[in-house]
Amino acid sequence: MTSPLLSSSELRSGESMHDVALAVRDLNFYYGDHHALHDITLDFPARCVTAMIGPSGCGKSTLLRVFNKIYDLYPGQRATGEVMFDGRNILESSTNLDMLRSRIGMVFQKPTPFPMSIYDNIAFGVKLHEKLSRTEMDERVQDVLTRVALWNEVRDRLSAPAAGLSGGQQQRLCIARSIATRPEVLLLDEPTSALDPISTARIEELLDELKEEFTIAIVTHNMQQAARCADRVAFFYLGGLVEVDTADRIFTNPRQKQTQDYITGRFG
Amino acid sequence: MRAPMKQAVAVHELGSNVAQRDRWSLGRKALRRRIVDYLATGASIAAAGVLLLVLASILWSLLSRGLAGVSWATLTRPMGPPGSGGGLANAIIGSILQTGLALLMAAPVGLMCGIYLSEYGRKGNYFASTVRFVADVLMSAPSILIGLFIYQLLVAPFGHFSGFSGAVALAVLALPVIVRTTEDMLRLVPTAMRESGAALGAARWRVTLFLCLRSARKGVMTGVLLALARMGGETAPLLFTSLGNQIMSLNMNKPMASLPIAIYQYAGASYDDWVQLAWTGALLVTFGVLLINITVRLASRR
Amino acid sequence: MRMTPVSRSQQRRLGFDIFFHGLLWLCALVVLALLGGLILLMATGGWKAFTTFGLGFFTHSSWNPVHDVYGVIAPLLGTVVSTTIAILFALPMAFGAAFWLTFIASARVSAIVGMTIQLLAAVPSIIFGMWGFLVIVPFIARNIQPFFNHHLRHSAFGPLLSGPPVGTGLMAAGIVLAIMIAPFMTAVMTDVFKAIPPMLRESAFGLGATRWEVMHKIVVPWSRNGMIGAVVLGMGRALGETMAVTFIIGNVTTVGWSLFAPRSTVASLIALQFPESPAGSLRLSSLMALGFILMLLSCVSLVLARFLRGKRQ
Repeated sequence: MTSPLLSSSELRSGESMHDVALAVRDLNFYYGDHHALHDITLDFPARCVTAMIGPSGCGKSTLLRVFNKIYDLYPGQRATGEVMFDGRNILESSTNLDMLRSRIGMVFQKPTPFPMSIYDNIAFGVKLHEKLSRTEMDERVQDVLTRVALWNEVRDRLSAPAAGLSGGQQQRLCIARSIATRPEVLLLDEPTSALDPISTARIEELLDELKEEFTIAIVTHNMQQAARCADRVAFFYLGGLVEVDTADRIFTNPRQKQTQDYITGRFG
Repeated sequence: MRAPMKQAVAVHELGSNVAQRDRWSLGRKALRRRIVDYLATGASIAAAGVLLLVLASILWSLLSRGLAGVSWATLTRPMGPPGSGGGLANAIIGSILQTGLALLMAAPVGLMCGIYLSEYGRKGNYFASTVRFVADVLMSAPSILIGLFIYQLLVAPFGHFSGFSGAVALAVLALPVIVRTTEDMLRLVPTAMRESGAALGAARWRVTLFLCLRSARKGVMTGVLLALARMGGETAPLLFTSLGNQIMSLNMNKPMASLPIAIYQYAGASYDDWVQLAWTGALLVTFGVLLINITVRLASRR
Repeated sequence: MRMTPVSRSQQRRLGFDIFFHGLLWLCALVVLALLGGLILLMATGGWKAFTTFGLGFFTHSSWNPVHDVYGVIAPLLGTVVSTTIAILFALPMAFGAAFWLTFIASARVSAIVGMTIQLLAAVPSIIFGMWGFLVIVPFIARNIQPFFNHHLRHSAFGPLLSGPPVGTGLMAAGIVLAIMIAPFMTAVMTDVFKAIPPMLRESAFGLGATRWEVMHKIVVPWSRNGMIGAVVLGMGRALGETMAVTFIIGNVTTVGWSLFAPRSTVASLIALQFPESPAGSLRLSSLMALGFILMLLSCVSLVLARFLRGKRQ
């Protein structure tokens, strides 16, 4: 069995890949009585895109929802084990959720524009955590919208309701909204599943730029997407981590038969 | 064979403008937000608590004041002058007769109207959407106006109050409740059931009555029971129709007693035994109505 | 030859289907006729009052059976003010309860408490009247009114808040009405809040917002129309409430500033004065006219609520 942790060769190869942003150790997750994740141990290297693939219900989205503890909204869902982030086990109940979530952003399957203007959508998260002057806020909004390549499309209608944007634009707005709070980690839960191919391509390009600055964990159903964007790929099956390696390795020469079967489309 | 666990230390330089502060520590702003959140949570618990407390207080006043009067004599003796040891028997029987008759009138009409709205009144049928809207208006119309209406319709022209007109007033109250729940419940029946019935060559009325209504019968019963509960405690419409009666009378063409009216007449009285009877009556009515509601809600949850 | 029996039975079938359809249609017509009859009989019943007093019916402030002069200002004002008080108290209660039920309580607790709150809505209104007279009226008379009379009599709010400490009056009626409509408004608001897409909520939480911030910055703007609809529906109920109000409002047809003074509402006036109004009298006609006005108010509030709820999508 391969190590889910960074191998020493991997550590040596890249200069900026030395840090581990999220270190998962022996994580178990339960929906009430249902045991959804079994003893997951996995590292998420900083400033890399790590993709999680696997058939529906394999636990990949569940893992993502552990990182910002969004599962905490629902009584009966609980996690045991360790998720180390910035020197702390975030699963401990003493973790301040507001702070955690300002540092670990999340984007969902479908665009979720808030019922307010484009500008206010971005400002919403920023205002929660920082006190900025009007000009500083303007700069921040322009900055993040530029980074998601939306600025030129919406610069003239910042005060228009965000619901008026197209699906692809809305999703980029949601990404902009998430990075506006200056998180260190970005969680993407099948961010392109509701989008057309052109919008999908733009989001994928975006990921490539964003990983210069953020650690990205992406759940995807789309194998090509994982191959195109990810540095590392983790394959999940039935709530367990089967294999994790560089994207090249997983898609050309996986070690486990299950992985092979899945990526060649024999099941799932 | 695990690789030695690597210490997870993240030292990021995320752009130049990220403050170099410890991003775990709670700033003053974060603390204030937490406190506001706790206050809001506390206030919302208090709001729900007040409503529960009121219900408890109502039940407690009913039990503490009404329970003493619950006896065989109260249930079997008719109302009478103060000090004569009167009971509530005629009011109880009057209530049962009037609500029973009202249900007999409202249930068939309400059911059929509900069936019409659900089976024949789908999208685009203006007559049906008008009926639907009118049923809603009737449902939210103040009950005292129903009383005035039936007074004008059935009391004034004949020159006397009657138990029958009381029953009609209650039926008008119950009708919209039955109509709307019947329609809602029938709408839950899958179209596939109607189509498979029709595919077997069954006539439409057969499909409607023996397939749709049958499979929705539990929900439809719920509506009828809720309508019954609504009628049971109504006072205002009976004031102008069946008026109330001190003596035992089973004649639907004469003024007739009922529990809510008896409560209304006795609650403000200055005789202790009458006030006692009012609270006892209130206890009976409330627990009857609540019992129906609890049964319905528990049954419809499964 | 063999076709005949089949087609005859088919004809019979078709015939019965038409008959069945017609029967259902008639029942639907009954519902229409009831509302039509209600409005018509109210209008004709009140015709005498409308023609006798003309516009004065709406501007005259006295309700005087001795001189047979009737104006609707006093009861109408009582209805409007008691309903307003009821909404002011019920809105925060219903909002808080719905917030707690949807976002804070666990599913099981929420189901049980939600059902219990709905039981409160099933309690007959006459019981609320007796309970209000037993609990709320003495509380206002002993604790609230002496306090206001003592401390605020000479303040700017003095005329609104002072008065003889009898307990019965607009404030008591408003509070009891608030308790009566709050469960209903809670139910509507809970439905509205539950309709929010979970992903929208989660993405707000995902940015680090607290529950309260999600509530008042995302949920409330998203469901504003539905919430206003809930308020208007509650208002419709409070407007026409009769028995509870009759017990606790004091039933005096006067006009004045004090919120604590005994007054009457349209519905309570009808309930109380009806037994003393002989058939065919101007007094009865005036009561019918009041009923007609109340029906209009009730209709308007329902249409308004409909309009606001429909606009959400």
